[in-house]
Amino acid sequence: MDLDDDPGPTNAKVDIVSQELAEETPFQQLLRHWMNERHAPDILHAQEGLLGRLLDHIKKQTDDVQLLRADPDTSEDEHFRIMLVQTEIERVKFIIRSYVRTRLHKIEKYARYIVATPEMHERLTQAELDHARHYATLTETHFTRAVLQGLPDEQRSLDDQVPFLPPMLSQPDKTRAVFAHALVSCPPVHLPDGSVMEMTRGQISLTPYHVVEQLLMRGEVELV
Amino acid sequence: MALPPSLRTSVIPAELELIASEQLVEIIPSVAMERTAFISGAYGPLRPPAKCKVPIWMATNLKLKKKCHIVPPDWLNLETLQGRLLLETTRPEFSEMPFRFAEIAKVLLDIASDDFQEPDKIRSLLKDIREARQAKSREGLSKLDHSELSLPNLSSMEINEIRPFFVRSMGVLTQLVKDPEARQMEQ
Repeated sequence: MDLDDDPGPTNAKVDIVSQELAEETPFQQLLRHWMNERHAPDILHAQEGLLGRLLDHIKKQTDDVQLLRADPDTSEDEHFRIMLVQTEIERVKFIIRSYVRTRLHKIEKYARYIVATPEMHERLTQAELDHARHYATLTETHFTRAVLQGLPDEQRSLDDQVPFLPPMLSQPDKTRAVFAHALVSCPPVHLPDGSVMEMTRGQISLTPYHVVEQLLMRGEVELV
Repeated sequence: MALPPSLRTSVIPAELELIASEQLVEIIPSVAMERTAFISGAYGPLRPPAKCKVPIWMATNLKLKKKCHIVPPDWLNLETLQGRLLLETTRPEFSEMPFRFAEIAKVLLDIASDDFQEPDKIRSLLKDIREARQAKSREGLSKLDHSELSLPNLSSMEINEIRPFFVRSMGVLTQLVKDPEARQMEQ
């Protein structure tokens, strides 16, 4: 496991985690991040390095396949292997696509919140951030042109803070429950009812997202 | 190009099947193949009739072309499943099953039922186990509160099945707990 992808603090705990996850291949890491991203209400840290490595690997496999295909001496058995390699390439591509599209969905949904919140910026790749900015501008312009410019000044704003009403700026609902699976024995976390939970390795719990958010960022739990 | 709306709330069984298909299964190949590097690792060499471990997706592919027999995993047979069913029906807790047993059993039984002894009995056992476990997860709903519910030995497919309802229920409970607090603050 590459420590570049691990945003957590470098203490002894993280070392244990990376050791235990050492056997995870890049593709298995992608599967884990894909599921995390699919289940988490919030946008997680981008896995640019991991995606880059996998895309390089896909390219290499594709090039090898092309080479073998072009070679007239390739035997029937070889064609069979080529077919298997291609099948796998398609599987990996599918998951990369689904992963990126999951992020894209959240980015578009929370575009205005992302632009307004600097902490979110570092979680996104440059391309994703550019897209969020562009998308936010686009929707704001559209709202203004379609409706808002016809309203009185005081009703034009898109981020009013009205007491007892949900904020106009839609943001990820961190109280939504997720199923967390502990990959290692985790440090204690506080539950909303005031008690403390210490997840043991292999434990599966249904709990609000904010409870396990830090554990997830450090890769100590995965969402299932 | 964002994720299609039908996939936004939860993952679908086909996707879980795709993940489970990365797991290894033993096959008896009938074709030879050199050791080959794949993205998920190197597999082979296939030397009939020696057994070899390959990912389930590859075994499926070979099986459909009638180029291998699949060796069922050690938990996927009548004896073990009967034992599990007995545990499921006599004990209150979930018995230990592989995390992705439902997906793996489905894929293997769908494409390689001829490699199993009495596949129909296995299917009906799996169905009984599933129903016994389903009843337990419904009971688990009564223990749900706004903060945490531990679900030992629940499998991936079962989690996916209860997800929409449990997640919403917890959301409602959170609201109920939050509202009295907010009201107190008001006063």
